[in-house]
Amino acid sequence: MKFRNIRTIYGKEMKDTLRDRRTLIFMLIVPIVAIPLLIMFTSSLMVGAVTKAQEERATVVFEGFDNLPADLQDTFKAAPLLTVKTENDYADTIDLIDQLKAGGFDALVSVPDYFGSAIESESPTSIDIFYDQAELKSEFAVDKIRDILEPYEDKIVAARLQERQMSVEIISPFEVNRQNVASAQKVAGRELGGILPYLIIIMCFMGAMYPAIDLAAGEKERGTLETLLVSPASRGEFVIGKYLVVLTTGIVAALLSMVSLTFSLNYMVNNLLGDIASELLRLQFNLETVTLIILIILPLAGIFASVLLSVSIFARSFKEAQSYITALNMLVILPAFVSLLPGIEIDYKMALIPVINVSLIIKNAISGSVEWNYVGVAFISTLVLALLALLFCKKWFERESVIFRM
Amino acid sequence: MIEAKNLTKIFKDKKRGEVRAVDDVSFTCKKGEVFGLLGPNGAGKTTTLRLLSTAIRPTSGTALIEGADIVKEPQKVRHVTGFLSGNTGLYGRLTAREMVEYFGKLYGMNKGQIVQRTNQIFDMLDMNEFADSRNEKLSTGMKQKVSIARSVLHDPPVMIFDEPTSGLDVMSSRTIVQFIRQCRDDNKCLIFSTHIMSEAMRLCDRIAIIHKGKIYFEGTVDEALEQTAYDNLEDAFIEIVGV
Repeated sequence: MKFRNIRTIYGKEMKDTLRDRRTLIFMLIVPIVAIPLLIMFTSSLMVGAVTKAQEERATVVFEGFDNLPADLQDTFKAAPLLTVKTENDYADTIDLIDQLKAGGFDALVSVPDYFGSAIESESPTSIDIFYDQAELKSEFAVDKIRDILEPYEDKIVAARLQERQMSVEIISPFEVNRQNVASAQKVAGRELGGILPYLIIIMCFMGAMYPAIDLAAGEKERGTLETLLVSPASRGEFVIGKYLVVLTTGIVAALLSMVSLTFSLNYMVNNLLGDIASELLRLQFNLETVTLIILIILPLAGIFASVLLSVSIFARSFKEAQSYITALNMLVILPAFVSLLPGIEIDYKMALIPVINVSLIIKNAISGSVEWNYVGVAFISTLVLALLALLFCKKWFERESVIFRM
Repeated sequence: MIEAKNLTKIFKDKKRGEVRAVDDVSFTCKKGEVFGLLGPNGAGKTTTLRLLSTAIRPTSGTALIEGADIVKEPQKVRHVTGFLSGNTGLYGRLTAREMVEYFGKLYGMNKGQIVQRTNQIFDMLDMNEFADSRNEKLSTGMKQKVSIARSVLHDPPVMIFDEPTSGLDVMSSRTIVQFIRQCRDDNKCLIFSTHIMSEAMRLCDRIAIIHKGKIYFEGTVDEALEQTAYDNLEDAFIEIVGV
C-alpha cells in the first residue's frame, strides 16, 4: 500500500465531497445553524408556555363556597390570578368532574358542609381539589389555590397555639435544610449532559452518511468505479483513502455540533431560565474533557465510516444505499438515546456495548466524573471493533460480487 | 500485444448455479491492429474485457498484455493499458483538468509529466475551451472527450474499449471512432467489444465472435464472410454461432 496513492485519493475525494451541497448541509449547516436554532426555538416555546400558564387567570369552581369562613371567601375573591365560580354558575351541568376533564375550567374545589364548624370545634376536616395533571394550566391552578389555603391554615394554627399560650416554634422543633454541593458543571452534566452525547453521536453518523453514499454507491451509479478499479491504485488504497474522507466528515460534524450545542444550551440557560438557573447550570469544557470526547468519538466514527462504506458499496445505486442507511440510522439513534434516560449508569457490561458506551462516557465526561477504568474498556472495545470493521470493509471491497453487483 | 490463453470466468449465481461467463477463451491481438470482440448482449464480451483490464480475476487461464501476466502482475498490466467504456462516467463536481490530473497521479506520473501530457491531449482533442468547467455542465460529446483524455493520459500501448459507442449520439460516437483510428495510426494495440456488426465491419482489422462465453471464430472480417458465403457480417454471425 502506497501512502502517495492514499493521499492522492484522499485529496481528490475531499475536494469532491466539499463541493457536494448535501454533504455540506449535514456536515456544516445542521450543526452550526440548525441545531442552535432548534434548541432556542423549542426552549423559548417551552418557557413561553410555562410563563403563560403561570400568569394567566385560572378559573376555579367551588362546590360549597359558602361553607368557607367569610374571610377566606374574601381572600379567594380578591386573588388576582383566580376567577372564582360556584356550582350555581354551572347549574345546568350534571357532572362537574366531566366538565373539568373537558377543560371547561381549571380546577374544582369541594368544601364540605361542616367545614366552618369543624374548624371552630377544632376537629379534623379536609378540602378536595380536583385537577387535570395533563394540563399545565390546571396544575398551576392548584398551586394558586394552595398559595391561599396554606397561609390561612398557618394563621389558624398560630391562633390556636396563642389561645393555649404556646409559641409557634413548638410545632417545628428543627428545620431540614438541603445544601447542594454539586458544581454547576455537574448539575449541567445531569440535566443537559444527556442531550449532548445523543446529538453528537447522531451528527457524527449523519455527517459521514452522504460522503459514504457518494464515494461508494455514487461511483457505481456514475460509472466511475470501473475506471478506478483498473487504475494502478490498489483496492486497499482506495478503501483507505475513501474511509479517511468519511471519517473526517463524521468527526468534523461531531465536533462542530459539540461546540454549537454547548453555546446554544448555555445561551438557553442564561436567557430563558434566568440568573439563578445559570449559576446552577453551566456546561463547561476543559481541555481534558474535550480531549477525552474527541478520543472516544474517534473509533466510533471509524466504525460508522466502515459500516457506511460497506453498505454503500453493496448497493447498486445512490437510492438503494440511501434506503439501507435510513434503516441503519435506527441502530444508531436508539442506543445513543440511552444517554437521555435518567438513572442508567455505566458499568463494565455497558462499557462493552458500542454506541451506548460512548454516549455514557461523554455524558459522564461532561459532568466531570470520569471513571478511567470504564473509559479504557469502552475505548479499547470500540477501537477493536473499528479495526475489525475496517478490515471487513477492505475485504468487502475486494469481493467481485460486491463491487460488480449491478 | 494481447494474448488471451484459455481465459475462463465462472460466476456463482443463486438462481442459475454456476455460470461460465467466459469459457476457455483464447485469441491474439497485435500492435497496430483493431481487434473486435463481437457478440450479442450477455455473450461474455464485457467480462472478457474486465478480465483483461484486471478489474476482475479469471477462474482459470490467463492473458499476457505487453508480456505482463494479468494474474501475476496486475500492477504492470494496469500501467500499459487504457480502458474506456460507453457508460464510463465522470466525477461531475470535478473539472476535466482536475479529473485527468487525478488519474495521472494514480498512474504514478509526476506533476511535470501530467501538465505536459494534459496540454498535448487537450490540444489534440480540442478540449481547452471547457477544460476548467465542471464535468456535470458539459455536453455528452465533451464528456466523452474527457473520458478519452483520461484513458490515454499515461500513453498506454494497449487500449481496451468496452462498447465504446453504446448510448452515444452520432457526434460523440464519431469522436470515438476517430479516436480509435488515431490509436491504430499510433501503432497501439486495440481491442473493442460491440454488438453492432456494421461498426465492426467499418473499424476492425480482425474479429473474434463470442457467444455464450465461447469463441466461435477468430480471423479477419473477410475470412468470416468467405467462410459463410454471406456478404454481410450479420448473417455470417448467425451462421457461425448456429442459432
